[in-house]
Amino acid sequence: MSQLTISDLKVGYKKNEVIHGLNIEVNSGERVALLGANGAGKSTVLKTISGLLTPSEGSIRFNGDDISGNSPADIVDRGIVHVPEGRRVFPALNVEDNLKVANYRKGPQSLAEGLESAYAAFPILEERKKQPAGLLSGGQQQMLSLARAIIAQPKFLLIDEMSLGLAPLLVKEFYQTLDSLFSSEISLLLVEQNAGMALAHCSRFYVIRNGDLVLQGNSEEYRDDPTRLQPAYLGQ
Amino acid sequence: MTYNEQTSPSSASAMQRAGIPVPGYIKRNHILGVFFFALTFLLLPQFDQYTTAIGFILVFAAVGGSLVLAFGAAGQFTLGHSIFLGAGAFLSANIANDSYGWGRGLEVEIPIALAVCFVLGLIVGLPSLRVNELYLALATFAIAYVGQQVLYEWKQFTAGGSGKSAGDLTLFGWEIGRGTPYIRLSLIIILVTFWIVGNILDGKTGRSMNALRTSETAARSVGINVAWLKILAFGISGAITGLAGVLYIHNLRYAGPENFNVHLSILLILTLIIGGRHRLAGAVVGAIFVKFLPELIRDVQEYEGIIYGGALIFLTLFSPRGIIGLIEAGLRSIGALLANTPVANILPNSASKEIEASSDGTPLESLSLAGLANSEKRGHLTVTDARVIFGGVRAVDGVSFEVEAGKVTGVIGSNGAGKTTLFNAITGHAKNAEGVFTLDGFELSNKPIFTRSLAGLGRTFQNLNLHGDIRVLDHALIGLEREMKYGRVSEAFRLPHVVRNERQAYERSAELLDHMQLLEFWNEKVDDLPYGLQKRVDVARGLATNPSVLLLDEPAAGLPTAEALEMMEHVIEYAEHIGCGVIVIEHNVELVADVCERVIVMDAGKILADGTAQSVMQNADVIAAYLGT
Amino acid sequence: MTEFIQLLWSGILNGMLYALIGLSLVLIFKTARILNFAAGTMAGFTGWFAWWWATKQGIPFLLAILVAIVMVAVATLLIERLTIRPLINENFLSIVTITLGLEFLIANLSINFFGGRAESLRIPGDIQFKNFEIGGVRFNWWHVVILISTFIILAIVGYIVNRTELGLAMRAFAEDKDAARLMGIKESTVSQWTWTLSVTVGGLAGILFAPVLFLQQDYMNIPFIKGFVAAILGGFTSLSGGVLGGLLLGELEAFAVKYAPRQMAAALPVIIVFFILLIRPRGLFTRAKAHERV
Repeated sequence: MSQLTISDLKVGYKKNEVIHGLNIEVNSGERVALLGANGAGKSTVLKTISGLLTPSEGSIRFNGDDISGNSPADIVDRGIVHVPEGRRVFPALNVEDNLKVANYRKGPQSLAEGLESAYAAFPILEERKKQPAGLLSGGQQQMLSLARAIIAQPKFLLIDEMSLGLAPLLVKEFYQTLDSLFSSEISLLLVEQNAGMALAHCSRFYVIRNGDLVLQGNSEEYRDDPTRLQPAYLGQ
Repeated sequence: MTYNEQTSPSSASAMQRAGIPVPGYIKRNHILGVFFFALTFLLLPQFDQYTTAIGFILVFAAVGGSLVLAFGAAGQFTLGHSIFLGAGAFLSANIANDSYGWGRGLEVEIPIALAVCFVLGLIVGLPSLRVNELYLALATFAIAYVGQQVLYEWKQFTAGGSGKSAGDLTLFGWEIGRGTPYIRLSLIIILVTFWIVGNILDGKTGRSMNALRTSETAARSVGINVAWLKILAFGISGAITGLAGVLYIHNLRYAGPENFNVHLSILLILTLIIGGRHRLAGAVVGAIFVKFLPELIRDVQEYEGIIYGGALIFLTLFSPRGIIGLIEAGLRSIGALLANTPVANILPNSASKEIEASSDGTPLESLSLAGLANSEKRGHLTVTDARVIFGGVRAVDGVSFEVEAGKVTGVIGSNGAGKTTLFNAITGHAKNAEGVFTLDGFELSNKPIFTRSLAGLGRTFQNLNLHGDIRVLDHALIGLEREMKYGRVSEAFRLPHVVRNERQAYERSAELLDHMQLLEFWNEKVDDLPYGLQKRVDVARGLATNPSVLLLDEPAAGLPTAEALEMMEHVIEYAEHIGCGVIVIEHNVELVADVCERVIVMDAGKILADGTAQSVMQNADVIAAYLGT
Repeated sequence: MTEFIQLLWSGILNGMLYALIGLSLVLIFKTARILNFAAGTMAGFTGWFAWWWATKQGIPFLLAILVAIVMVAVATLLIERLTIRPLINENFLSIVTITLGLEFLIANLSINFFGGRAESLRIPGDIQFKNFEIGGVRFNWWHVVILISTFIILAIVGYIVNRTELGLAMRAFAEDKDAARLMGIKESTVSQWTWTLSVTVGGLAGILFAPVLFLQQDYMNIPFIKGFVAAILGGFTSLSGGVLGGLLLGELEAFAVKYAPRQMAAALPVIIVFFILLIRPRGLFTRAKAHERV
């Protein structure tokens, strides 16, 4: 059963259209990868789902409701949580405050439990809870970013380029912990440039190029040789 | 490059086909201005009781006019202009009392006020080099406050709290009576001033100022000396405001330091915000609003602040271009309604006209562009050990390569590979770049951006950096600034060689736009154009600078491949015509393979591969890098 | 020695004023990235308004203050909603122009509503006229009230900003607008409460210092300029910096008035600003736009 359905999505900045009519579907509990070279428009899609951007045409339906153009606050309330590209922690706020912000829409009663889960998943965050988040290493900031997602109690996760700027070994670790962090009931739409990693983790994928959907399929067909996706990425 | 005065009799030039008005000496605005001037001049005796108020309107209009240059064109939001008014006023008083022994009379007061306030303006303009926008407003706000304190304390100059009275008003020995004769003289002075400011706005200085207001980055990259131009804007507007100060004290017959406070400064710039800051007419309208309104509505004078404040808020919310903007929008709507009637030609009309395509020959062979043809290839670029590090990230990590003159080279790589950063290192946009860069033997390293541009380096931008509210035609003209051989003083008086150079530049721009298939949009503001066209304007601007090598940063991004290919064809054709080389960053590998003889692949700040398009695309490392595996 | 302490004390007194205004300016700047040019006028209006309720209408002093503050806060909510919020995505110039317009409007409203003459705010027990001495140094009772009140105000603002959810939202929003929105923080909420808090702090300063500066037209305008200097001195995006900057400026001024030539003393604060902006704008501001991103 489709949980998130994107139909004919068109997104533009001023007079420029950046996404030219996308159709994407994610079923409950599914893990889907959104692949493509940089500048292809993958982040734009996530930002439109989470409400930072408004589509010019088309619709986004979540559990049957049309959420296109809704405010980010409303979308968070529905359980769609966006882990943005580049971590985007609040550098001057300390680690604990960063986590508290994630609880903003949930109400004070869930804070204690949320913090407990976060610290259990990433003990180092508890060690550094009073330190400004800007002083954390790239990997630790990624942990913080994921911890914020845990606290937000997602039903649907949007993760954008988790591997960017991180050492390959660390990236592997993160992908391994993803399973333990979020139950398999939580759906995932994952944007990744690293095709191999993404395919290993997701059951289906879409490839975007210059704002168009150029390929979609099941990951297992390409898992052994992701380079076969090259023509889709680069357009030959 | 020689200029040929004859135009081909057989084919219509691009300018003619597009209906672009030829630069001349008289414009419609001049006629309107003279008309209103004459009207006021003649009707003045009827409004005897208002002469002082009209005198003030003229003062404010003059300052407003100067701010159309500094604020409307150059974008410098200044809250410090009260000091120029004060300086001019007290200079006038002191000269009139013969305190300096330079002689007396307006013929002495005005030039001195202009000169002193010009220099003062250059100094006051210094903060604009370090800070922008809001911080500049704060700095100038502070200057206004200090300025007033200085006026209070400098007893010799201003007699402190008691102020000084104006001397007799004489011009070359002739005494000018107060009231109507004086206002008529002021009118003439203001008219001449507006004519001069108008000439500056219409010439290369005005265009360059508008360019730096809308995108400093891009302005530098086409060779505009942004720093000097900003200070110059302050200098010129300071000088004119000083002149207004002379008129001020003669009008009021007295001036004291308390008149020249921060509040006045705010009022001066509000005049322009209310009236409309991009047109000289806005200065007049704003001045009338600010100074005349209370006269007309004497009974509600106590509510002056409420009326101004309310008007300001209303206009900001509903018409950011001020009253003039409202009027123009209104005229445009009327123009659209009357589009098919004979009256249509008088009114501004925003609908773009259909342009006949050029029937014979290519624009490149037109006389004006032919003058730029160059069979000698240029653009020999060397990059040696380029490095750019920020925040601990080695964005460009020891890159060296050499590009021969006149070649087309592609640079590809996934994002974060350092391609744009490499461009920035070459053009000077990356402040902390290391390495040695030369262009046709000229060393670029460590030179300011505009110097590198003047040496022959042209570029476009990933995020366009276009000049938002400016026409397409002007984007090409801005690129051509360096070709315009006239000085700023000549420009102020619109001398014949200024007009000649302007005509040639307009023709060249029109032809270039025609070549890039942008001619029919010459009059559109770039903000109103769709993305594809905007990209072409960015490229046209770069080409207009007649570069030795043109760096294109993702010119095809967001465009359908067919459109991108067509654009690149035109670019390369033009590049061959003028003998320049092209280096293009692209993600669209199809395009790169089609157009580039040589492709350099970057990854993680280093060069991963370098060869023909075929060989590079089959390189296993390259494929792995792109897919991130 | 007593002279020294007297100077120190008067420096602290003025410092409190500048600190409060500086705080009110930084609050708005941190989240909205603009300077509220109407801050001085709004603070003055609040002082006048308190006078109107207390002295003119004869309402009990503390109640008058409360009523004035509450009404001004509500008015700010309205002003923010009607004139600031619509322009929230425009460039800074539009909103700055609005604040300039508000400055004119409120200043004129002030004159018309409260009369153009100087007045004095009557305080129960007339304590602004009562002094006492400790070890040869003269103190004024009302100044003590100011000191205590300022501490309370700073403590409350500090509490709101650092320990409440609203404050957390404001701080997060100031750091990274989009990331904050992804957490569900609404721009409208942050904007309206920031403005309200800022104007309230300014208003309290206007009331507290009415007896010191005397109620006259535009009496808070010069303090506004000094407050903005304080904000710059302390680092424009740091709240505590703004406060410390204010105290520092107060002390600098107190000593300058005594020891520096008269001409310098008056313009001193602004000269400092000019040179700081010229020499080290990046050292004090976190976002000096010296060049755009290409």
